[in-house]
Amino acid sequence: MASSFKQIEDKLKTEAKKLLKTGQVSVVLAYGKGYDDNHPMPYIAKLPSDADNIVFNEYCTHNLARYLVRYPKGTKIAVAVKAADSRAVIQLIQEEKVKREDLILLGLPAYGMKNSKTGEIIDSQTTCGLYNPVLYDTLLGEEVHGQPVVSPYDVLAQYEAMDKDARFEFWKKEFDKCIRCYACRKACPMCYCDPCFIDQNNPRWGEKSPQSHGNLMYHLTRFHHLAGRCIDCGECSRACPVDIPLYLFHKKVAKECEEMFGQASGMRIDDKPVLVNFRVDDSDKILE
Amino acid sequence: MLKKTTIDKLPDLAAHLMEQGTLLAPVQEAAGFNFQVIADAKQVDLNFHNTVLSPKAAFFPQMEDFVRYQTGKSILEAVPVELNLKPTFLFGVRPCDVKSFTIMDIHFSGTGLVDPYWQKRRQAATIFGYAFDLDQPAQAEEFYKTLGIGAADPDGSDVFMIRKGGDLLLKGVTLKGEKLLTQLSLLTAASADEEKYFEDYIIRGRDFKTRFTFLADKNIAKKLEDIFHDSDFWMKVSGACLSCGVCTFVCPNCYCFDICDETLFSQGIRRRVWDACMFTDFTLEASGHNPRTQVFQKLRQKIKHKYSYHVRKYGVISCVGCGRCTKHCPVNIDIFSIVEEAMKA
Repeated sequence: MASSFKQIEDKLKTEAKKLLKTGQVSVVLAYGKGYDDNHPMPYIAKLPSDADNIVFNEYCTHNLARYLVRYPKGTKIAVAVKAADSRAVIQLIQEEKVKREDLILLGLPAYGMKNSKTGEIIDSQTTCGLYNPVLYDTLLGEEVHGQPVVSPYDVLAQYEAMDKDARFEFWKKEFDKCIRCYACRKACPMCYCDPCFIDQNNPRWGEKSPQSHGNLMYHLTRFHHLAGRCIDCGECSRACPVDIPLYLFHKKVAKECEEMFGQASGMRIDDKPVLVNFRVDDSDKILE
Repeated sequence: MLKKTTIDKLPDLAAHLMEQGTLLAPVQEAAGFNFQVIADAKQVDLNFHNTVLSPKAAFFPQMEDFVRYQTGKSILEAVPVELNLKPTFLFGVRPCDVKSFTIMDIHFSGTGLVDPYWQKRRQAATIFGYAFDLDQPAQAEEFYKTLGIGAADPDGSDVFMIRKGGDLLLKGVTLKGEKLLTQLSLLTAASADEEKYFEDYIIRGRDFKTRFTFLADKNIAKKLEDIFHDSDFWMKVSGACLSCGVCTFVCPNCYCFDICDETLFSQGIRRRVWDACMFTDFTLEASGHNPRTQVFQKLRQKIKHKYSYHVRKYGVISCVGCGRCTKHCPVNIDIFSIVEEAMKA
């Protein structure tokens, strides 16, 4: 029997308070109360008394690994991680953006997470669908046993049934909706480039105006920058105010990477990002 | 005089308006309703609460072309882009959004400096305001009552519409609106009872409950000035902020823009596009210096612009409480809560 959200919340509060009190960390990244119960917010606890404001429920979908790169190197941080979030932390460690020894990972074994806009369950749909964090120091609740019955790639069925031209038409139509608010890249834990290519003036890689070709340039470049790095948390799609299903492309690329290189992103600290690593037995499928 | 038609006849009304010009009305899209130029009169649908994007794009489009030119040629050969506007009907705008137009007028035509693009579009438009449904509770994010806006305020509309069951009651608010209504032959005269219903509805709308906090314009402006240097407060309220541009792009009152030259081979266009104070390069200076690099500084600027600087300069808060920024924030930051906390701080 898995732990309830309330049980996890209580443990998260206790653990955060302990870590801040003993000075093991200076910051705890967790969730706090939003304007109502269905809209919790990422919350940054700095004092032991802040820990009382922590909440955890099925709407705490945000990926807190997003905030790690904001802190100066060497800051001791405890971060609450669900499955995909822990993969993001691992990926950031692989990419040397954060150090394992600076982090305390508070694992949240949770399933049945819901999108606060639609109320729909997101597990395996827009997320990787794992129940337990891949890496943690303390698991705040009982480990969930068993494997997800649905593969995270099942949602691709309809997309994969389309041929090349249909896919291009599909994305063109979706990207025409884009208003270039950049919520996708800002919500993404792996989008930490400063400056982002699309913000550069000289040279300029893409137009600022929200037109088809500029939107395509922005999104396709972002998709490819995330190849082999996206950990399938689905935050980009949930952040989008016009509901562009960005997760489909990320999942598709993740699936191809996994098939070609036998490695999913953010699963082991010792791995190297697939597109950075070279092995003599690497698949040549991409050249065929 | 109050006129009426039935909701079933909405496509006929839409078709009449389309004959006279361009019709912009809410249409159901994947992520919710949005204003669109109507091509098929049957698309018009008034079964919406409010649109995802604010209707500001009707007068201040996200992309506005100014000048076309060819690279390598003389500037004298550059061609200004002319606005060829047909009469425009902006149909089904909620009272809080109508109010936003009058606030935006300050920037684009009210200070002596006139933006011809905004002004021409405004002059070409007839606004059909549309009261919120008072029998449905307000959405959790909305707080227009705090800012003194009723759920059925006709101010600022040319024609104001209230739904009564299967009927739609329409009243001309301005001369332009009245004139238009008399021309629309498919409308019938409303009864005295309906007249009373209409007037009562407007009054009932003023007491319609949304989130509320007592805000005196001057107090909040002063208070926010006083806590400018309270970085702890600003860091606390902006802790979750991702500094994306959702809140500003969906806001009916955000009007910051960038003017950029975009070229494709030798063809160049100078155009205006929306910009946002939350973006990294918004305050980036040519020297490379950037006075606002931290997230808390950007969010502070946004809140203070709306609730402090704007009040000091123009005497009115630059927010209408539509709640879009809160509703679409990826991390659920709520501007109302921040203002409430600021008053307590």
